[in-house]
Amino acid sequence: MKSKVLIFFLIGFILYLIDIGLNNDDNKSIYISDQEINSLISAWKSQVGRVPNEDEISRIINNLVEEEILYREALLLGLNEDDRIIKRRLAQKISFLKQESLPNKPKRKELNAFFEKNKSKYFVEPVYSFTHLFFSSDNNSQLRSQAAFNKIPNNITDIKSDPFFLGKNFADINLKEIENEFGNNFNTYFKESNLNKWSGPFLSSFGHHIIFINDYRSGFYPPLDVVIDKVELDLLAEKKEGAINNFIDDVRSEYTVIINPNLRIE
Amino acid sequence: MNKNTKRLIYALLVIPIAYVSLLLVIDFDVNNKRPILSVFKMLQKEGSQEIVDFSIKGKVDNFTSNPNKDRNPYYGDLHVHTKYSFDAYVFGVTATPDDAYRYAKGEGISHPLGYEMKLREPLDFYSVTDHGFFMGMIEAYADTSTEVSKLEVTKPFHNLNRPENLTVDSAGQRSDIFSSVLGQAILQPYPSWHPKILKAWLTHNTQLALKTFDYTTHKSAWADIARSANEHNDPGTFTTFIGYEFTTSTDTEGGNLHRNVIFNSSKAPIRPWTRIDSLNPEDLWTWQDALREKGMDSVSMPHNSNGSNGQMFESETFKANAINKAYAEKRMRNEPIVEITQVKGTSETHPLLSPDDEWADFEIVDYRVGSRPPTYSKPSGSYVREAYLNGLTLDFTQQGNPYKFGLIGSSDTHTGAGAYDESNYWSKIGLLDGDPENRGSVPLKKENIERLTQYMEAFNQPISTVDINGRTFANTGFTQWGASGLAVAWAEENTRDSIFKAFKRKETFATTGTRIAVRFFAGYDLSSIDLNSDSLVSQAYNKGVTMGADLMHDGDRSPDFLVWAQKDKNGAPLQRVQIIKGWVDSNSGMPHEEVYDVACSDGISVDPITNRCPDNGARVNIKDCSISQDRGSAELKTIWKDPNFSSTNKSFYYVRVLENPSCRWTTWDAIKAGHKPREDQHETIQERAWSSPIWYIPAKSEVDVIPLGGSVNVIGND
Repeated sequence: MKSKVLIFFLIGFILYLIDIGLNNDDNKSIYISDQEINSLISAWKSQVGRVPNEDEISRIINNLVEEEILYREALLLGLNEDDRIIKRRLAQKISFLKQESLPNKPKRKELNAFFEKNKSKYFVEPVYSFTHLFFSSDNNSQLRSQAAFNKIPNNITDIKSDPFFLGKNFADINLKEIENEFGNNFNTYFKESNLNKWSGPFLSSFGHHIIFINDYRSGFYPPLDVVIDKVELDLLAEKKEGAINNFIDDVRSEYTVIINPNLRIE
Repeated sequence: MNKNTKRLIYALLVIPIAYVSLLLVIDFDVNNKRPILSVFKMLQKEGSQEIVDFSIKGKVDNFTSNPNKDRNPYYGDLHVHTKYSFDAYVFGVTATPDDAYRYAKGEGISHPLGYEMKLREPLDFYSVTDHGFFMGMIEAYADTSTEVSKLEVTKPFHNLNRPENLTVDSAGQRSDIFSSVLGQAILQPYPSWHPKILKAWLTHNTQLALKTFDYTTHKSAWADIARSANEHNDPGTFTTFIGYEFTTSTDTEGGNLHRNVIFNSSKAPIRPWTRIDSLNPEDLWTWQDALREKGMDSVSMPHNSNGSNGQMFESETFKANAINKAYAEKRMRNEPIVEITQVKGTSETHPLLSPDDEWADFEIVDYRVGSRPPTYSKPSGSYVREAYLNGLTLDFTQQGNPYKFGLIGSSDTHTGAGAYDESNYWSKIGLLDGDPENRGSVPLKKENIERLTQYMEAFNQPISTVDINGRTFANTGFTQWGASGLAVAWAEENTRDSIFKAFKRKETFATTGTRIAVRFFAGYDLSSIDLNSDSLVSQAYNKGVTMGADLMHDGDRSPDFLVWAQKDKNGAPLQRVQIIKGWVDSNSGMPHEEVYDVACSDGISVDPITNRCPDNGARVNIKDCSISQDRGSAELKTIWKDPNFSSTNKSFYYVRVLENPSCRWTTWDAIKAGHKPREDQHETIQERAWSSPIWYIPAKSEVDVIPLGGSVNVIGND
């Protein structure tokens, strides 16, 4: 009985000694490889233009050692734990890893499903063709355009309007393009205006306009084959995004998130 | 005489005979256009000139051509980096070319710091132009599973990912990498007996001789860039160009000679021509010429001449030979346009070069690109306006004009997404300048001061913080950078071919990110055009020439210039339009420049004595960046005649359009963060646009100008 206790005691003591031995070695030795020193010296060389002398080499190595010491001491104190920048960087690294292992070309079936789900993204916008009379805001556009509009039923050729920078007639342009060229939510007026009738005056970023829409083609959903390249690109992008989200979802259940329910955000 | 002595005499005789015959052979070779060397040359293959079709199989473009003969202004960016660039990758940028094109089309993409980058209005064209040099390689270095990452020199790239080295501190690491990649450290060749050396020689591909280079990785990065461009090209709506950056420099003075190259095709050469092939831009042009022979047209566009230490627009060649007509023609054939503005500064002119131009002090960055510590870049030879003048002078001395280029702007973003908007600015290099504190526009928090100081010591850098009126700011150089710029092409329709042709004929203008539009014509009968006519533009095209073109003399007649500028619909109103004239006096050969205001806002007239518009009273409220609502014009339009025209002087004229002042990004950053703007920065800027010049070509002078010395072959036929 007695000897068994003693044996257990002895085994325990030996394990304890081994533990101390191992830990000491691991924590307090700094190994600096030849490559590390050489690469620092070559960086030094490329900057300064000559080989460092002995003093400078020892300073370079000393800096490296000091940096490593401070780094280790910082780790011991746990300074890495609350550093947003370190966290962000590590989070980024794992995101890269997850994104890089991506599936290959998606199958037709997959594309089809994705296309059906995101159909609105591929909608071909309605287009308008129109002409307009422009009155520059630099020259009293509101009054002039109103007077011109009242004149239209009688004699349109008498109207003195200004030339518009981007021209007079626009063919097959969609509402987004109209907004890009005129600004100030000018495209909203097109939805309310009738075909083949002068309407206005409407204010753009540059002045007032009286518009005459002579053609309108409604929008439509194209078949998958017409937009298949775009769909494929979008699907791959979504998968890439999804790779990280899936990973987070997988491991999220292992975490409990605690937030102060009474926090007031100023 | 014994046998041994005889042998010795023979041996002694053989040496001079062999030597003399070698000299004879070399002499024969040199004087007869090198027939002997060329026998060996015939063994070489020009691998870099192989053309590969990158077009997407089965991609159909539903496009019906609808050209506008009066042309539309298309806005774009021809200078965009993604993760394939050696530097972008180490800044934590993971944006792919696909992400970049999606951004240009109006989608939001993610900044490395996590926030969304999104355009207020999509662009019309875009080109991903990663550094050709070591394209795609850094990704392979950072990935420790690759063969090439086991090399010693790739170690710093592993280290980069050490968490404690990242963010603001890694500015030093970044410069380290930048200079070691561009320096000798990374160029480790195989020993000379190695078969790869022979392969490199036989295929004219120096890169193959480097241990640090993996051709398969390189080619697949290039192929992905080309694929992405072709996939996103959408005729009628959105145009892309396959392109890359030729990141060369002078070897001793650290003068940046960077150029972007774009191709007018869905095909492209098998690999980009890079600084490893040659540092000399003339060799790039030779390569472009060879590709053009094979039916593939391209343009290269110099940029950041401001940081070239006077090397970009020198009055001699890369090898310090005199410029001659052959050089001038070759340069102009390949480099019709120059990037005048971008994040790292504007290169129009410098206050030291144009002391009489009150607007010359605009977004000046006068240190050499990539220099560490920042090193002064001398202005002469670095700015566009002076280059135009020097071009005229070279032409005057019958050496040809190598500086007859048009103008574009672009961003040089390294995040895939250009920041063109002062009120929504993220600078360009990802983690390092992605927030206001690190780019120096808001005061540093205490812990960041410490971090920055420590890093500067570690990397042997100058002091990285600066105290201004009791507040401490980062002094990392980023405050000099700016939210600029855009390239604009006057083209018939939004297709690759139509826009590319506009670049070739230099019918382009540059903006600082704003969407000002400007028309510019010159001719002898433009004053007969009614400025209020709807057919104003088509008449001007019929009766004159437009930006980028030559106006030939017509006896002694003084030409009319027609300018029409329109404001950015979301930007500040226009304040004035100027015409900048440069000329060389035909009697003295002296170069001159002059800035004329030609149209003022709010109906004000130009003061004829000073050639300036009086103040229009527009102001900026620095507390909230609001601007005067009732000052400035939506458009400015005029016909102008040069009051000092001389029909015998070689001259150029270009337009500068100025907006009313508005807040600079540093002010926006400060206000949004609830701080006072930094006192040593410009609080406001005047966004602007520059047209390509119109060159006036006088009648050929009866006097031949002969430069002293006279040994230069001005024609350039060797």
